[in-house]
Amino acid sequence: MFRPARPPDPDQDLVDRARQGDTRAFDALILKYGDKLYGMVYNMTSNKEDTHDLLQDVFSRAYQSLGSFRGQSAFYTWIYQIAVNLTLNFLKKRKRRSNLSLNELKPTGQGEAEFVDTTNDADPERQAQLKELQIRLNEAMQRLSEKHRMVVTMFDIQGMSHAEIAKILKTSEGTVRSRLHYAHLQLQSFLQDSWEERF
Amino acid sequence: MNPSLEQLETLLALKRDERPQEGYWRNFVVDFHQRQHMDAVERTGLKGMMAKTSDWFGQFGAARWAYGAGMAYACATVIFFVFPREADKVVPAATPVKYEVLPMPATEQLQELDLTPEAKSSDGEQVF
Repeated sequence: MFRPARPPDPDQDLVDRARQGDTRAFDALILKYGDKLYGMVYNMTSNKEDTHDLLQDVFSRAYQSLGSFRGQSAFYTWIYQIAVNLTLNFLKKRKRRSNLSLNELKPTGQGEAEFVDTTNDADPERQAQLKELQIRLNEAMQRLSEKHRMVVTMFDIQGMSHAEIAKILKTSEGTVRSRLHYAHLQLQSFLQDSWEERF
Repeated sequence: MNPSLEQLETLLALKRDERPQEGYWRNFVVDFHQRQHMDAVERTGLKGMMAKTSDWFGQFGAARWAYGAGMAYACATVIFFVFPREADKVVPAATPVKYEVLPMPATEQLQELDLTPEAKSSDGEQVF
């Protein structure tokens, strides 16, 4: 069957240069996709140090595996997959640790001054209100299972399409939609109390 | 009252604008290169080799160790039976060799006859 040609990877030039040992080219890739990957990893781990270490591992793995990157998918999809796999493995290990303290989890807004909302700087009252609600939202997010939290993060926060998510998670679009639907219902339920207080 | 789906999605979408602090990525890149450099140094040195070996062994869980030990035992058993030791080699039983004394042809016997006078006995009989 005829398969439509995939558009060229916009990062191909940077990837080629990085492969040849140009570290500045790889730095450019880090700066280009760092925020996106940070958002995903941070929303999954809810811990600043873990996010930093995981991202170092993600970029290190990608840098050392550039030789095996065949360009069958876009560089962004490839590195996002690495980040998802490492994050899920990390969360499994963290879950297994019996001595995990609840204090280890610091949701956004609780002592995470560098991870702030930049959209509502002009209205401090509104900002404070949103911040409080976001703390509740982050707590609710942490109550979701990893696979449900992952689809919510990718779809609602990162703005990815169902097809992209399905490709990265190596599952069907139907499964993605189903997980998303269930996760939304759960979040709505978890947020019930705080929503009643505010609105 | 639960938030509606639209309200929930709006709330979640606000998180799209969350960013790490200014300057975070500059420090991140510096840290990244330092780690890469340290990794490279460790990979080439004796310490790196020991770490690699340690990692290699560390990757095996108890089940894999048992599997490896079982495989090694099986290999040793096969080698033991397929290649018997020198002492255990079976020496084939000796079979008697049949020596037949074949009579030489008469002409050859005649050629070997010593007909010189010294070879004759006193009674004129040929001595062999």
